[in-house]
Amino acid sequence: MRPLRPIERSTELARVYVWEWPVRVAHWVIVGAILVLSATGYVVAHPPGRWAPLGTVKAVHSYAAIALTLAFASRVAWMFIGNRWAQWDQLLPVRRERWRGLGPTLEWYLFVLRKPPGYVGHNPLAGAIYTLVFLIELLMITTGFAMYSVSAPYWSPMHAFGFLGPLLGGLQTARWLHHAGMWLLLGFMVHHVYSAVLMSQVEANATMESIFSGYKFVPEEDVVSPRVRRATPPSP
Amino acid sequence: MREGRQGLLAELERRGVTRREFIRFCGAMAAALGLPGGASAQIAGALRTAPKPTLVWLEFQDCAGNTESFLRASRPTVANLILDTISVDYHETIMAAPGTQAEEALARVVAESRGQYLAVVEGSIPLADGGVYCCIAGRTALDIAKRVCGGAAATIAVGTCATHGGIPGAAPNPTGAVGVGEAVPGLRNLINLTACPMNVENLTALIVYYLTFKQWPPLDAERRPLFAHGKLLHDACERRAHFNAGEFAEAWGDEGHCNGYCLFKMGCKGPVTFYNCPTIRWNEGTSWPVQCGHGCIGCAEPRFWDRMTPFYGHLPLTPGIGADIDRVGLAATGLVAAGFAVHGVTSYVKRAAERELPAEKSVPPPDRKGNGP
Repeated sequence: MRPLRPIERSTELARVYVWEWPVRVAHWVIVGAILVLSATGYVVAHPPGRWAPLGTVKAVHSYAAIALTLAFASRVAWMFIGNRWAQWDQLLPVRRERWRGLGPTLEWYLFVLRKPPGYVGHNPLAGAIYTLVFLIELLMITTGFAMYSVSAPYWSPMHAFGFLGPLLGGLQTARWLHHAGMWLLLGFMVHHVYSAVLMSQVEANATMESIFSGYKFVPEEDVVSPRVRRATPPSP
Repeated sequence: MREGRQGLLAELERRGVTRREFIRFCGAMAAALGLPGGASAQIAGALRTAPKPTLVWLEFQDCAGNTESFLRASRPTVANLILDTISVDYHETIMAAPGTQAEEALARVVAESRGQYLAVVEGSIPLADGGVYCCIAGRTALDIAKRVCGGAAATIAVGTCATHGGIPGAAPNPTGAVGVGEAVPGLRNLINLTACPMNVENLTALIVYYLTFKQWPPLDAERRPLFAHGKLLHDACERRAHFNAGEFAEAWGDEGHCNGYCLFKMGCKGPVTFYNCPTIRWNEGTSWPVQCGHGCIGCAEPRFWDRMTPFYGHLPLTPGIGADIDRVGLAATGLVAAGFAVHGVTSYVKRAAERELPAEKSVPPPDRKGNGP
């Protein structure tokens, strides 16, 4: 594949520190935890044999769950203390301009718009999807705590979460929800990696690199206010 | 039936129960209740002088399975004295009095012992169509439950039908069957002894606890006593070590099954069921389902017929699709990936086509890597 030409630049690019280190650390801990949790969780539900003793596998699953929970909690806390691109209103499309931005972004994905609307942080559509992802992660933590709490050691403060089981409709229902949530997260992961690669290619603004470095290179005008590039295809 | 309220010990002596036998029974009860060693002496002391509890046993939409369990109380000489011979003033299945006489016996207990007798309920209560699906002596089950349980010192719902609707209450639940707690809200001292059927050792232990301590034991969110339903069955199972080691029966009768390996892969619901089945066992502690080689079906859990099925599968089927959630999830994830693959190819082709168009005269500035067009 020949590299495709990125979007034409009308202004100078600005180097912006978008993702602060707590955001990046939380992101990668969550990625690692979800991969470990999915693998070990699948093994627990479908035990392959003696080479995977479930006592050990469940222990690994529990430690990864602790990592996920802490990363999740820190990221939620950072929604209220982080910079403007980490704030909660970048996820929930409650502000008018974010709500209005949903349509154009979807149009771009559906090839109606030729160029994606320019946003420095998450675009409104991605933000809305991430809201769902946070809710699914919360469901996983809730169902996981419900199942863990009932056989926690007698001294464990995790017994405080024993009330969750009956609320969820019993542990068997919690189990099913735990499986369904895993597949939703894995399905999201496929979408997320694809969209990140696509955006990175089209916008050429170091989207991919930014989750490692924190920096994006964006047109200066986007830093001030996002815009919808309604450029019409050039006529021959 | 209720002559001579002079305590249990006199009754025991009259029946020829030895002291040794009595002490052994008290020790077994202390163990079932999870009480420390010294408690058996306290139980013995209390039972010696305890007045005989009056007990009425109501049967609604049931199969009499709990009655069967009740009649097979182990250590029958002592347990029967406490549960059966002395104190049961009304029990449709086993009482001698028929028809009008039987109903008069029940009415007498409700009228004379108000606030003192124990009501045991077996079977679910239908609420649909005014409760016509279960009537005894011209009264609906709901009416009887309100009248009898409302005046009882405590109501003990035995079996999952009486506690949560059970099999009559399973989908589509044509009679609108519910448990006692839902049918008659606000009952004083409602205790749910779930399982299908309940284990009579737990009923005996519950009453012994009441006679000893003059109060009811701690309950969980489903109003089940914690001594019987406080622990996950999986954590007390004798096959648990095989689970931890990754040793499973893969098919009925295979080597793992013959070796007594864990039945998790055969759909055992032990990991989601709270019950003391593995420790209390059945038929005088002889065996219990998992020891016999069959997985737990989670009968002690609310609405187990809906929630725990398929009994031989790990998870409930996916609503609306009917397949295993892991197959559905894998297929859905594959579809998502395929969809994005199509999107990716389309996106590339479209951008490539635009790139070939000679319209744009102005040369865009190079990006930050210096990759100009």
